[in-house]
Amino acid sequence: MAYHTIVYLFLFLPLVLTAYQIAPRKLRRAVLVGAGYGFFWLISRKLVVFLIGTTLFTHYIGLCLTWLKQKCRMETDSCAPEGKSGIRKKYKKKEKLVLACGIILLLTVLAYLKYYNFFAHNANQLLEAVSVPLAFPAKRLVLPIGISFYTLQAIGYMADVYWEKVQTENHPGKLALFLGFFPQIMEGPISMYSQTAEALWRCDSLKGENLSRGCVRIIWGLFKKMIVADRLYLLVKAVFDHYEQYSGIVIAAAAISYTVQLYMEFSGSMDIIIGSGRMFGVVLPENFRQPFVSRNAAEFWRRWHITLGVWFKTYIFYPMSASALVKKWNRFGKKHFGKYITKLGISAICLYPVWLCNGLWHGPRWSYLFYGMYYFVILLFGIAAEPVKNGLLQRCGIKESAWYWKRLQILKTWVIIFVGELFFRAEGLSIGLKMFKSMFQNVSLHCLWDGTFLNFGLDKGDYLVIICGCLTAAVVGGIKERNLLGDGGLAKLKTPVRWSIYYALIFAVIIFGAYGVGYQQVDLIYAGF
Amino acid sequence: MDELMNILNGIDDSIDWENEKALIDQRLLDSFGVITLVSELEDQFSVEIDAAQMIPDNFNSAEAIYEMIQRLREK
Repeated sequence: MAYHTIVYLFLFLPLVLTAYQIAPRKLRRAVLVGAGYGFFWLISRKLVVFLIGTTLFTHYIGLCLTWLKQKCRMETDSCAPEGKSGIRKKYKKKEKLVLACGIILLLTVLAYLKYYNFFAHNANQLLEAVSVPLAFPAKRLVLPIGISFYTLQAIGYMADVYWEKVQTENHPGKLALFLGFFPQIMEGPISMYSQTAEALWRCDSLKGENLSRGCVRIIWGLFKKMIVADRLYLLVKAVFDHYEQYSGIVIAAAAISYTVQLYMEFSGSMDIIIGSGRMFGVVLPENFRQPFVSRNAAEFWRRWHITLGVWFKTYIFYPMSASALVKKWNRFGKKHFGKYITKLGISAICLYPVWLCNGLWHGPRWSYLFYGMYYFVILLFGIAAEPVKNGLLQRCGIKESAWYWKRLQILKTWVIIFVGELFFRAEGLSIGLKMFKSMFQNVSLHCLWDGTFLNFGLDKGDYLVIICGCLTAAVVGGIKERNLLGDGGLAKLKTPVRWSIYYALIFAVIIFGAYGVGYQQVDLIYAGF
Repeated sequence: MDELMNILNGIDDSIDWENEKALIDQRLLDSFGVITLVSELEDQFSVEIDAAQMIPDNFNSAEAIYEMIQRLREK
């Protein structure tokens, strides 16, 4: 039951909304938790025990950390000033141990279910190569839906309790709601406890404004998913499945199409998810902020899958930055190598684990690891080349804010994104490399008008709809980027204008949406992660 | 505060440290600037700044940085 399906939109969501509203306030929490577990069960059946187990385990780790902190406070309050530091150190060690146990156990479950077969396959190949008569048996492992998302949220919660950014509740229901809010289960956004737990726990009554804003957001999501993404899926699948038959422009077009498909689909799903949350009065964090106007790869990742980036920054990048290794290197580097090399070294130490985890998080494939390392190298290169770039700009008299320089940077970022997504989508690293090479072979614009692109299940009308859909999304993105409508959004517009937009969106989805005969139901890409 | 201003000017003297209130939000101080600053602050003020303190609120202005140092010193 994906978020764009009729079952979710016209049955599950309205039923939960109704049950939520008619239930007494105290029972609303139970309705939401029940809806979350019910949603999970409908997709992953009995694997819902993983979510329940993770919730209980995380809850007790949180309680244990809080108990240690309270005990530390009590002991330091009643001891002489000179002994306080020792007590704090003793308890900090214990807290660290509890946190480490919590994180390791959750990661072990995730790693075993998600990566065991990948590890076994590669380890067996290695053992065979060195003639060791040992083999790891392949196992039939089924992944619970959304495990990569709720595991990160659970780890984030434990770290936040450890850092005293949030306080634990004795009742496990609040955490159950935070980890199992049904709109977030399949694809995120990966929220922090401080962002959503309070609003979920409050269980406010439904409000007309929230319902209408939620509805509009959902329709906008359907527009992106059904009008653009599901059409482009046909082209992308045709080329990537038979990549050996194509080269040059067709491969490049497929890489661009996949990037657009992925954006329209993932951001469209996010619109549906955020819209669903909004209906309950819960403001979920945004996951996209006009990524295609980014001037470099770093900015792109601040605008694309934002919550994953923020999670890695908060729980990997900053802890690495504050680690003894980085501090030592900072002092040593400055003394012996100067600022430039020191900054480069810090960047490498802190960014490497972030991008390794980013690649791994997407799944057990070498191509995903390559994808992570691809961005690691690009970001590191960007930092290394910054002084040279600044020098060149100064020498040529080009201002950073010049419009043509901005456009050039955006164009360069597009190339980086498209190449990255080519490897991300390709069925394996070797195929990705072959496709990348073939992009530079038989380059001829002839295929653009000789009918090649009409062989992918799309006719001229479909291409026109895709272009119009993309232009509409670009205009909406431009309005958002300049914040032309402010916080009120469409509500700021006059009623006839607003309703014309609503009707235009609804009819566009009904008339141009890719569904019914001739269209295959397209699964949500990120639900697979 | 003077010691802090010396450190901040040493990191980047083109920033108006006294008046700027959104160093992180406006990306005047990036992640690597924060890392450099953290290790300078630790050396100068003998405090330990861990990942929990790495939030924009603590680094958005010279005042906020100073308050964080005072807080950590009291611990």
